[in-house]
Amino acid sequence: MSDQHMPITEEELHAYVDGTLSDERRAEVERALEQNPELAARISDYFSLNSLFHERYDRVLNEPVPKRLQPAAPRRSRVAANWPQFAGLAAALVLGIGIGFGTHMGQDAMPTMAGSANTRPVSADSSEMLAHQAAVAHVVYMPAVDRPTDMSVDHEQDFVQWLANRLGTNVHPPMLARQGFALSGGRLLPGPDGQTAQFMYRGPNGERVTLCISRRQVNSNTTAFKLYQDGPVNVFYWVDGDFGYAVSGGIDRKLLLQLSHDVYSQLTGAAPPG
Amino acid sequence: MDVRDELMEHVPRLRRYARALINNRDLADDLVQDTLERALGRTGMFEPGTDLRAWLFTIMHNVFANQARKASSRAVHVAVDDESVHESEFAVPAQQVRSLEMRDLDYALQRLPLEQREVVLLVGLEEMSYADVALALNVPIGTVMSRLSRGRERLRALMAGSQPGAKLQVVR
Repeated sequence: MSDQHMPITEEELHAYVDGTLSDERRAEVERALEQNPELAARISDYFSLNSLFHERYDRVLNEPVPKRLQPAAPRRSRVAANWPQFAGLAAALVLGIGIGFGTHMGQDAMPTMAGSANTRPVSADSSEMLAHQAAVAHVVYMPAVDRPTDMSVDHEQDFVQWLANRLGTNVHPPMLARQGFALSGGRLLPGPDGQTAQFMYRGPNGERVTLCISRRQVNSNTTAFKLYQDGPVNVFYWVDGDFGYAVSGGIDRKLLLQLSHDVYSQLTGAAPPG
Repeated sequence: MDVRDELMEHVPRLRRYARALINNRDLADDLVQDTLERALGRTGMFEPGTDLRAWLFTIMHNVFANQARKASSRAVHVAVDDESVHESEFAVPAQQVRSLEMRDLDYALQRLPLEQREVVLLVGLEEMSYADVALALNVPIGTVMSRLSRGRERLRALMAGSQPGAKLQVVR
C-alpha cells in the first residue's frame, strides 16, 4: 500500500482483533495503538471478550453429548477446533495487553499495566514471550484431548502415553501426583517457533494448572526459575537446553513453585535450578 | 462418510454456540435438537462439497429467529436460568474474581440485542469469517460489521459497569 497515512477504519480495527487483517495493515494498526492509549484500551477489551467467550463456553465442547442429540450411532468424535487467533493474541501481548477483562477499564487502578503498554519492547525476550503465551493459553484453552472416563488416576502412566500418542508428540507430560494433581488433558498450540505442547492438570480441589513445553530455536543454557504474573495467573518459567517450560495457575505461588520443581526434576532427572 | 455422520461432528460446536446464545442448558440443547432434526429432514438440500458448518448455523439461526418471534408474540421471555450458573457445569474453580467476570459475561450477553449477540458470538466464539456470518444470517456484510461494532461496544460497556473495581484486586 503506497499511502502510509490511510486512516484506519472501524472495520479494520475489528479485523485486527479477529486476525484477518493483512500483515501490512496490521503493522499500521499496531503503530496507531502505540500512539493512542484510549484506542489500545478498546482493542484490548475486544481481545479480552473473545478470550472470555472461549474461557466461558469452550467447556461445552468437552461435555458428553446428551442422548437426544445423537440420532446417529454414538461415536467418539474429536472436535477439530481451529484456533487461528493464537498468533493474533501473541501479537496483542507484545503490546502489553492484559488477559483479564477490565484490566484497562478501570480508570487508573492498574498503572503498571497501562505503563507497560508503552514501554515493553516489541522484541521481548523469547522465554518471556513463552511466559506470556502460557498465561494466555492457561486462561483461553480447554484440552483438545480429554482424559477418557475409563482411565482412572491409578493408570496415570497409561494416560501419559496415550495422551502423547493422541496429540502426536514425543513430549511426555510429567506426573504431579505428589502434590495431588492429576493430568486431565492436553492440546498442541501453533506458535512462531513450531508447536507448543500444553498439558492441563487438576488439583484435589479442582484447581487448574497448565504446563507449556515448547522447543526453542536457539539452544541456550539452563536458566533459573522466573516468575511472570498476568492478572490472577502466576507463571513460573525456565529454559533448559532445547526446551522452554512454563507452569501456569491461579494458585498460591508456593504450591506452583513446588509443582514447577516436580516438573523440572522429572523432565531432566536432576536437581532444580536456583 | 455421509452427511448424517458428518453432522454429528458439529454437535459440540452447535451446543457451545447455543449455550452462549441462550445461557440455559436445556433450552440451548432444545435449540440444537430442533436444528438437527430440521437438518436431518433436509439432508437432500445440502450440496455436498459446500460448507456443512455454515449450513447448520444458518438452520440454527432460522430456527432460533422463529422461536424468538413466537416467544415475543406470546410475550413470554426466555428465562435466564440463573440457578444453572451455580452448577458444576459452569463452575470456574480458579478464582473468585474470574468467576465474577464469568457471571458478568452471561449477564451482559443476555442484555445484548439478539442480532448483535449472534454476530459477536459467531465471530468471537465460533471464529467464523465475516463473509460466512453474512451468509449464515442472510444479511449484507456491512450489516454484520455494524452489528459487530455495536455489539462489542455494548458488551464492553455492560462489563465495565457491572463490577466496578472488582476485577482489579491483583496482588502485586
